[in-house]
Amino acid sequence: MITLKNIEKYYANKGVKSYILRHVSTHIKQGEFVSIMGPSGAGKSTLLNILGMLEEPTYGEYEFMGEDVLSLNERKRIELYRNHIGFVFQAYHLIDEMTVAENIEAPLLYKKVGGAERKSRVADILDRFNMVAKKDLFPNQLSGGQQQLVGIARALVAQPSIILADEPTGNLQSAQALQIMDLFKKLNEEEGITIVQVTHSEVNAAYGSRVLHLLDGVIKEDLAVEQGV
Amino acid sequence: MFRLNLKIAIRNLWKHKGYTLINVGGLAIGLASCMLLLLYVAYEWSYDKYTAGYDRTYVVYSNQKNANDINSYAWTPGVMAPYLISTMPEVAFASHSTYPNEFLITNQDKSFKKPGIFTDPSFLKIFPYQMIKGNKEKALKSPNGVILTESFAKILFGKEDPINKTVKLSGKHLLTVEGVIEDVPRSSSIQFDYLMSWGMYEQTNPWVKRAGWGFGHCLTVLQLKDNSSFEKVNASFSTIFTRNQKGNDNVGLIHPLSKWHLYDKFEQGKSVGGKIDTLKIFVILAFSILLIACINFMNLSTARSEKRAKEVGVRKAIGAARKSLIGQFMLESMLLAFLGMIVAFILIEVSLPYFNGLLNTTLTLNYADWKFWIVLFGLTLFTGFIAGSYPAFYLSSFEPIKVLKGFNRAGGASLSIRKVLVIFQFVFASSLIICTAVIYQQLTFIKNKPVGYQKNGLVEIPIEGVLEDPAKAILLRDKLLKSGAVSHASMFSVSLTRGGNNTIDVSWPGKNPEERIMFNSRYAYYDFAATLGSDLLLGRDFSPRFNDSTNVVINEAAVKVMGLSKPIGSLITVDGDQLTIIGVMKDFVMDNPYQTAAPMYIRNEQVGEGVMAMRLNPAQNISTSLAEVRAIVKEINPDYPAEVIFLSDSFEAKFNNEKLLGILANWFGGFAVFISCLGLLGLTLFMAEQRKKEISIRKVLGANTFHILTLLNKDFIKLVVIANVIAFPIAYIIINKWLSNYEFRVEISVIPFVLAIVLSLLIALFTVSMQSVKVAKANPVDALKYE
Repeated sequence: MITLKNIEKYYANKGVKSYILRHVSTHIKQGEFVSIMGPSGAGKSTLLNILGMLEEPTYGEYEFMGEDVLSLNERKRIELYRNHIGFVFQAYHLIDEMTVAENIEAPLLYKKVGGAERKSRVADILDRFNMVAKKDLFPNQLSGGQQQLVGIARALVAQPSIILADEPTGNLQSAQALQIMDLFKKLNEEEGITIVQVTHSEVNAAYGSRVLHLLDGVIKEDLAVEQGV
Repeated sequence: MFRLNLKIAIRNLWKHKGYTLINVGGLAIGLASCMLLLLYVAYEWSYDKYTAGYDRTYVVYSNQKNANDINSYAWTPGVMAPYLISTMPEVAFASHSTYPNEFLITNQDKSFKKPGIFTDPSFLKIFPYQMIKGNKEKALKSPNGVILTESFAKILFGKEDPINKTVKLSGKHLLTVEGVIEDVPRSSSIQFDYLMSWGMYEQTNPWVKRAGWGFGHCLTVLQLKDNSSFEKVNASFSTIFTRNQKGNDNVGLIHPLSKWHLYDKFEQGKSVGGKIDTLKIFVILAFSILLIACINFMNLSTARSEKRAKEVGVRKAIGAARKSLIGQFMLESMLLAFLGMIVAFILIEVSLPYFNGLLNTTLTLNYADWKFWIVLFGLTLFTGFIAGSYPAFYLSSFEPIKVLKGFNRAGGASLSIRKVLVIFQFVFASSLIICTAVIYQQLTFIKNKPVGYQKNGLVEIPIEGVLEDPAKAILLRDKLLKSGAVSHASMFSVSLTRGGNNTIDVSWPGKNPEERIMFNSRYAYYDFAATLGSDLLLGRDFSPRFNDSTNVVINEAAVKVMGLSKPIGSLITVDGDQLTIIGVMKDFVMDNPYQTAAPMYIRNEQVGEGVMAMRLNPAQNISTSLAEVRAIVKEINPDYPAEVIFLSDSFEAKFNNEKLLGILANWFGGFAVFISCLGLLGLTLFMAEQRKKEISIRKVLGANTFHILTLLNKDFIKLVVIANVIAFPIAYIIINKWLSNYEFRVEISVIPFVLAIVLSLLIALFTVSMQSVKVAKANPVDALKYE
């Protein structure tokens, strides 16, 4: 599904290049649950953002579902992105002025999904996440865990084939974190959604099927996870 | 999508009430100012455009050559209109009429002094007023006919049918009402309450019948069959005087009626604008104020960008294209513009009566007019678009990754744009302050310029009715003097504040026969100079102790023109009479306070026209004197209302144009400054937010409130000073151009400039300090905790 070849990313500052990513090549198959791990500053988030097409690498090749992402124009890229990628953030990043239901509905609006279908999909997902009662609340009326659930619901509503999560449990207490990770695992196993998450936590990484260890922009290890946690 | 965006926009506005208030307030004031000014412009623009054929109608001017320039007057010979009809097939109608003049109209015991004109039936063809009663075809054909306007008919006759009833003109001539027409719109240059026939004019002024091409005593208006013949007709006018009278070198020209009001200034025989120039200034002012309000909006929205950035990032991350974000921000600004318009509406409706009083107009919002709604919506959309464009493009350009990672605080570029915008606002505000100050300086200068006589305590009453009999006028003068109400009184053949009555038929020893110099021709009774409170430079005033019928008093300007070294005793010839100069008066201002006085001679003769000028007794209370004067006038001339006109009042009226400009510049300049301050306030809010951390650290390191205040205010003071520096040359150029219209003008001094910089700095400091004091006094821990 995703093929990265020799991805490089650096910032040039006064002639000095500071590398974020070096020679990153990997392949992610449909249905995988990949965790990217590494110390702060290793380039984890940058890699995730490149995968999510929010950032462009300085060099390298990026193929997403058979299309060369880097050669696409803005409009096509947004199209690809809307249809296949869902993002989950550490700080949830819900829109404060929108209710829960409106936040979840927003991606569908941008995808130009018809009104009736929008309604039914939002209702469906609210139901699945047990949040029907909260649909008219605003984000600041929810707990962190609930906000992150909304964030995930928003990522899922557009029926993406891949979810990119940047430390999805970073701001949460451990009980809520567990709940979120269980949800990811369930989505991965039952619906076959590809998940790529950035995490600091070994416990979270254990939910996945594969771990990429990054250090100073280089992939140091690429391990399959023993299942059975 | 639209509904959701609208909902979010409303929530956003509600959540940040302070910003919304500043924004809506600024836009509302901007829109209201713009609309008011445009309303006024539309009103002036609509002048004389209310009739069907206005665009084919022209006013005839005659250019008269003088010693070194050409004067243009819309005064033409009475014989011109009949001549036009009989010789020019291109002319559909031509009418000769007098200018509106106030006459006494009496119905039984009710008398009114109202403006009326003498004219011919063609007048009603060119200006097709709707005939409410009576037969239009027969109107004004017999000398005794009169046509009343609807409201004047009501005043005279109440509910009775006025047709075929009679009224008296000047208490002497019986007139039969032939018809009632609709009232003359305010936007007409020719304002009258009744029309009388040309025949009556000839009857009351016998000389008119004999007046030929050398007389310019009436207004000639013509309507062409087709505008394509304009060039041909206008060309034929250039020789119309010479063709008809040998040696008459006046040149005729036709000026479109639609331009009569606005393009009223002529130089060297050519139309060179006039009121239209002021109007253009108002249009520029209107849109500048609106622009300032829009800039405010831009400033405030981009200042809030930090708060909006996250939203933009998230929206982009979940798939929003830039276009839809631009749409969203545009929608918000449209919504604000719409709210602003509603408030502006209320402001306009509330302030219109006040402005109408100020400008002496009858502006109204005409809700039934579709043009009004188009302008309204157009203006709202325009404002929303202009105000929203920069924030929409700026905010939507954020890269999601950067803003989601934490907005980078520098925001350098946007800040400098905001600074430029604030500078722009203050350039405008300062320029307006400077211009307003100079306009007021000029106004005071002209008003305080010596007029050549003591205008305080000087009053005049028109010589009319029985006073036209010289014996009665003299009787009145004697009675007034005896009563002690007035200390001096004299008669003058033309009101002291009016021009007209001039002649070139004056010669003196050593005159170059080629020279044509226009003299004001006047008659005065005894004691004239003393009544005016004017000094005689040489010689003496007319006095009953001498026989002055062959003597003349001239003014300084006349002495200069004649080049007489010893004027007293010199002989001059006026209208064929040889007269001896017995006195030289100081020049005094008559019709135009902006021009140097024209040469004038004053003869001593009693002609039964003009005014009785009086100096109220300074030893007595003014109202007592006035009451006495009125009682005596009423006793001698019972038919007429006893009108006493103060010279200082009629003099004041000459400055209406400048006053209007001053008032408007003052008001709208004030608005511009106020809106600019709102913008500054918004910018301070933003800066304070942005520098909260820096300030907190400084305080922790030991800075006190004063240090912080200096730090925060310094930047803004810099902006305002820069704005002033830019404004100075701009304002100088503009005001210099305006002043160059006046022959007598103030020197541009440093005072307005100092005033502008001090005022703008004070206002800016005050605005900024409201916010910066709060920040400077805040507890640093609160700000640092969240970092």
